[in-house]
Amino acid sequence: MEDRPVSPALKIAAFVMFAFLLAPVLLVVPISFSADSYMSFPPSGWSLRWYIELMDNSRMIGALGTSTLLAVIVMVLAMVIALPAAYAIVRMRVIGGEALLALFTAPLLLPTIVLGLAILIVFAGAGLLATFPGLVIAHLIIVLPYALRVLTTSLSGLPIIMEEAASTLGASPLTVFRRITLPMMMPGMVATAALSFLVSFDEAVISLFLTGPRITTLPVALYQHVENQADPLVAAVSVLLIVLTLAVVLIVDRTAGLTKTFVK
Amino acid sequence: MGTAQTMQPGFLSIRSLTKRYDTMVAVDTLTLEIPKGELVAFLGPSGCGKSTSLRMIAGLCPVTSGTISIDGKDVTRLAPYRRDIGLVFQSYALFPHMTVLKNVMFGLEMRKVPVAEAERRAREAIALVRLEGREDRKPAQLSGGQQQRVALARALVIQPSILLFDEPLSNLDAKLRDEMRAEIRRIQKRLGITSIFVTHDQVEALSMCDKVAVLNGGRLEQIGTPGDLYERPATAFVASFVGRTNRLSGVAEGDRISVGGAALRAPGSRRGNVDLMVRPHRMIMTPAGDKGPDFDGEPLNSIGGEIRDVYYAGDILNYEIQAGDQIISVERATTGGETPMASGSPVTLTWRVADTLVFGAGQ
Repeated sequence: MEDRPVSPALKIAAFVMFAFLLAPVLLVVPISFSADSYMSFPPSGWSLRWYIELMDNSRMIGALGTSTLLAVIVMVLAMVIALPAAYAIVRMRVIGGEALLALFTAPLLLPTIVLGLAILIVFAGAGLLATFPGLVIAHLIIVLPYALRVLTTSLSGLPIIMEEAASTLGASPLTVFRRITLPMMMPGMVATAALSFLVSFDEAVISLFLTGPRITTLPVALYQHVENQADPLVAAVSVLLIVLTLAVVLIVDRTAGLTKTFVK
Repeated sequence: MGTAQTMQPGFLSIRSLTKRYDTMVAVDTLTLEIPKGELVAFLGPSGCGKSTSLRMIAGLCPVTSGTISIDGKDVTRLAPYRRDIGLVFQSYALFPHMTVLKNVMFGLEMRKVPVAEAERRAREAIALVRLEGREDRKPAQLSGGQQQRVALARALVIQPSILLFDEPLSNLDAKLRDEMRAEIRRIQKRLGITSIFVTHDQVEALSMCDKVAVLNGGRLEQIGTPGDLYERPATAFVASFVGRTNRLSGVAEGDRISVGGAALRAPGSRRGNVDLMVRPHRMIMTPAGDKGPDFDGEPLNSIGGEIRDVYYAGDILNYEIQAGDQIISVERATTGGETPMASGSPVTLTWRVADTLVFGAGQ
């Protein structure tokens, strides 16, 4: 928006930062097209060998499917739970709303490993270990704080007078929410959906506690694969993940505007 | 006359309306009656309770006690969307994701008016505020003045029983404000909608409205026509808030008041410490010793003093006169070519006894 001249020093600093952040990504792409049997840089030959291997690796593909489905379901549930919660806390000012918000966002403060252990103990008793519903619940615990934070911020940033204007024009509270509040919250909701999806898709620590031979997620499968062998298969998976993440970010950018969604 | 009218039950009837927050009373037993078709200003300094009163009438702010009724129907506890009220906000409050036409149609849609008719009426309202051709723009593509016109059209199109304005012109620049004042008044008169106009700008209140209610500290100081307020202010607050005024302190004994060394007179009779007020432009200043004006033989007051300062403001010259321990401000219209009287000149100020307002001291 603002056109201020950027000093060369800042440009160089930004370039170095980006190079640092993107180096692993840039490294992983050539490695994924390696013809070698082990990870090395630069590869001695080029091929699509590891992508083909990946397609044939039913464990990886199964984990990818589980992770995607899990992320979508967690995203939808997070939205369904966090949206009314955010509305109640910000707009209806329910008694103890601030305390609720603190409680909902508390999992963010807990070390994930501690949370994972706690969930493991509880789930073991409830028979939820290595089940899909178990994973959904555990991921929701991680994702909800993010969803609630982004949605409450988005909602409290909206001036209430548009909603008041709609109500004086004859709109019932539900209609006001549907016709005025919701459309105005669109950027916040897209951000919440994207963030929820990515946090769930990327989650490894808690999933490690909860997955087993019967069901596993992609990050866990990757981790276990790397533990056993150091072949470029993981690089091929990584490239697929980067592409997927990029796709999500692009969708957000095209529908709601990236800076508007995440920066504001 | 104005006071007699307000005693009859009005179209909008407000009785003992009170809004209390934890420790503070924002609106204190406000009672007033507004006849059908009138435009009434709520005038007062910020924090006087005028906006809170308006929000209570709109139903956006819960009432602590008292009643509001519209056309004989008690609406005190009714939700805003059941009140049939149009509200124009200071910051427009247009729906940013809808076009001008959709914004204006929203209220009709809520009233289940068939789409074709709603669109026709919305286009009429848009024409009424002179925004034809901009129906398909988004609010962000319009100027502040245009946005406020859309807001006005949106509130008008539902033909509300009461139209409320919450400082609608404060965000506009001076020239646009003048235009919009005339426009709002023109439309309000043409449609005959009972309206309340909240403002802190006395010129706006006096020039636009049939009646003005002056609020201070949550209380109604006075309601009356602009002329009533200016010529016959009920309280010292109204006298000093509406128009400019000189305040002199003195001691009254019947209709005689001694101010410093001068013996003055005022209509009515009272006793003890008083504040005496005179409008700056109602005082005639003449060099001391000259024959003063005679105002067709009406009873006059006069006081002697010395010019302390002169300010030139183009259309008027503003003199500050030291009279004993009091400073009096006097205005004189400029005529061109005259030489302002010099600082230090002794002068006499003369004004009609009828223009002398007296209030109990510290009121």
